[in-house]
Amino acid sequence: MKTGIKIALSIALLSSLSFGGEQFAMSDADRAMYAEMLDNNPADIMVESGSELLEEYCGGDAGLAKFLNVSEKDLPAYIAGFPRYLEEFKMVVGIDQVLQALMHKNSHKPFALKDGKMFDMVAYTKSIANDVAINIDVNANKHMKEAYALGQKTFDTKRGGRGLACLSCHSPDVIGSVLRTQPLPDLGAQNAGGTWPAYRMTKSSLRTLQRRFQGCMKNALLDVIPLGSPEMVALEVYVTDKSKGQAIAIPGLKR
Amino acid sequence: MKKSFTLSMLLMGSLFAADYSSVIENPSASEIIKKDLLAPAKVYTMPTGCITNDPKAIARGSFIFHNLNGEKVKGKTPEGLKKKNADGTYKQYGNCVACHNIEGAKGAGNIGPDLTGYKDMFMATGVRDNQFVYQKIADPRIDNADTHMTVNLTTKLFNEKEICDIASYIVSPK
Ligand code: HEC
Ligand code: HEC
Repeated sequence: MKTGIKIALSIALLSSLSFGGEQFAMSDADRAMYAEMLDNNPADIMVESGSELLEEYCGGDAGLAKFLNVSEKDLPAYIAGFPRYLEEFKMVVGIDQVLQALMHKNSHKPFALKDGKMFDMVAYTKSIANDVAINIDVNANKHMKEAYALGQKTFDTKRGGRGLACLSCHSPDVIGSVLRTQPLPDLGAQNAGGTWPAYRMTKSSLRTLQRRFQGCMKNALLDVIPLGSPEMVALEVYVTDKSKGQAIAIPGLKR
Repeated sequence: MKKSFTLSMLLMGSLFAADYSSVIENPSASEIIKKDLLAPAKVYTMPTGCITNDPKAIARGSFIFHNLNGEKVKGKTPEGLKKKNADGTYKQYGNCVACHNIEGAKGAGNIGPDLTGYKDMFMATGVRDNQFVYQKIADPRIDNADTHMTVNLTTKLFNEKEICDIASYIVSPK
């Protein structure tokens, strides 16, 4: 990770942790561990392993660039624009789905989207775009416009055992209030789009953004929808757009 | 014949046409979401004898207010309240404390208003009445269409009696 990003990240983290007080779930010991992990993100090794997997199954950066019809030089900026509409897929896809297709093309059985190996490989692939500003274009074409609209609808729809929507806890008017010891994050300002895949301390594992959505669904009693579904990809489009212009910094580190 | 035809189609597919839509995971979620949608807002009338001073009812209401679900409960539940549903799944409680502070709350949130001193502040002054509290918990959208609060009766998360238990707890002297 570049020093600049590291410093920016630690400032963001420290300010989000500086609420202090026993009202918040993070103890001083947790905070110390967090600071330590900033210098030494446990997910670095998973990104490394993702790099090896990409080499083995997809021909590395070069193989991926060729598959996406871009030069290796342009690959980082191109990756910073996912999810994208790709003609060869006839739909808006995430990086994970691109990797599935490339594995298939190279005569390998694609990893399932929820496979830990897929998470590692996605983390590495997105890290190719580290330091590049998110440049998703939700107006690029009608498919992206539709995906954005579907994402917003999915985000705003109340459902589940408690009648909640993502919006119930992530709308501008509740950001910063506290939900049972957790300050509600500003998904845009806190760069959710640029910091997942991330290592989640409380889960001791690397998770993707879509997997994080599933976590919120489960906690809030919304029926969990599958990774890679049009609705899930659309949610990723919608949430990623909120962080547009912010630098990608993978792997992220989360509570 | 049929088999080899299918095979050659498959081969052609992978050799020529660049259409990856069938090789990637792209399941639909629309049915899952449709079944899970929230029913329209509904007006409820509080059943007779709903709000009570019965300590057992108040104990259940308090328990539902402060706890998330049966799985997380270490000790016993109050009389008349189970940890599990009839189908063996863990029962969900209100977890109201996630958003509301109230007397004795641990780790309360502040997305919703502080309900501390509710009896003196809101009931005794006539700002609120039992029916309001019942409706608010049962389906808060009637009073506030854009509410961020959970819906508890229309979703069938709780039954009428349980809503009464919770409401009794909130308006009780503490
Ligand atoms: C009941 C409240 C609630 C609901 C409903 C909810 N969330 Fe969350 N969400 C939270 C809280 C609280 C956190 C922060 C938790 C933490 O720090 O561990 C969070 C964190 C997140 C994050 C991680 C932010 C980051 O990068 O640190 C994302 C992304 C997210 N939510 C998306 C969603 C989506 C999409 C939905 C709907 C499917 C949703 N949430 C529904 C409460 C909620
Ligand atoms: C996800 C957040 C959230 C949860 C969980 C939640 N509430 Fe609320 N509650 C709110 C918000 C926000 C308001 C204020 C807006 C409104 O009145 O709709 C509110 C308002 C109320 C009020 C009205 C206070 C007044 O007199 O104006 C009562 C009573 C109440 N909640 C009880 C409960 C109970 C009981 C539960 C659990 C079964 C609960 N709440 C769960 C967010 C929440």
